[in-house]
Amino acid sequence: MFCPQCGASTPDNAVVCMQCGRNLQAAPPPPLQAAPYQVTPLPTPGVILPPGATVPNYLVFAILTTLFCCLPAGIPAIVYAAQVNGKLQAGDLAGAQQASKNAKLWCLISLGLGLAVVVIWGFLVLAGVLTGISHQN
Amino acid sequence: MLETWNRRLLAALFGIGAVGVILLRVFDPATSRIFPPCPVWYLTGWYCPGCGSLRAIHQLLHGNLQVAWAMNPLTVILLPFISYGLVSHAVIAIRGQGHGLPRLFLPAVWIRALCAVIVLYGIARNLPFYPVNLLAPGAMLRF
Repeated sequence: MFCPQCGASTPDNAVVCMQCGRNLQAAPPPPLQAAPYQVTPLPTPGVILPPGATVPNYLVFAILTTLFCCLPAGIPAIVYAAQVNGKLQAGDLAGAQQASKNAKLWCLISLGLGLAVVVIWGFLVLAGVLTGISHQN
Repeated sequence: MLETWNRRLLAALFGIGAVGVILLRVFDPATSRIFPPCPVWYLTGWYCPGCGSLRAIHQLLHGNLQVAWAMNPLTVILLPFISYGLVSHAVIAIRGQGHGLPRLFLPAVWIRALCAVIVLYGIARNLPFYPVNLLAPGAMLRF
C-alpha cells in the first residue's frame, strides 16, 4: 500500500508511514496483551485523512520562490510549510490545512512580485534596444 | 474539471521552466543582459540567498561544477532536492497518488533548520571578513 500523505510505499501491515509518520490505520491498533504495567499510551503521530487526500506544504515552491524570485515573501512561505508538516505530525488537520493555505498564499505573493520584476525588466530591455536602434539611424 | 486544470497549469509551468533552462544554457547571466538582476541586490546592494543561482545553473549546464559552486554553493546543494521535488510533484499529478514517486516529506524541524540556514547564509555572504566572504557570488574564483 501507499501512504496517502506522502505517497511512500509502505508495508501492508505498517501502523505509521516510515517516511512522514502519518498514522496509516483507520482504527487505533489493538492494545498489547498481558502488559505488566499499564503505561499511558503515547498519542500516535499523524492524522487520519480520507484516502487519497493530502495537505500540500508547498515547500519546494517556497524554496524556489525564495531563491529565484529573491524576495522576503518566500521566507514566510517556508515557515508556513514547516507549520503544515509540524501540525500534520501532531495530528492537527484543520491547523495543517490553514497553514497550507497560508503557505500557498505567500508562494503566490512571492511569485507575483518576482514575475512583476521580470516583466518590468523586460520592458526596460525593450526600451533600451529601441533607443539603441533609433540612435543608430 | 479541476484535475485537467491542474495538469494544464503544471504543463505550462514545466514548459516555461524548459524554456528557461534552454535560455540559461545558451546565454551566460554573468555577461548577458537578458536576465533581470536580483531585485534585492539592485535596490540595496546586498546579496540575497539566491544571488548567483542563475550563473551557477548556467555553469552546471556546461559541466563546470567548480565555477557553479563559487557562484552559489547553497543552490548547488539544494538543486538535487528541488529537482526531485518538482519531478515527483509532476509524476504524482500525471500518474496519481501512490503510482508515482514518493512525495518529498520533511519533518517540521528540518524545514525550520533549512529556513534558518537560508537566512544565515544570506547574512553571511554579505559580511566582509574571511571565511564567510567566500560565500559572495564569484568570490571563491578570486582566491
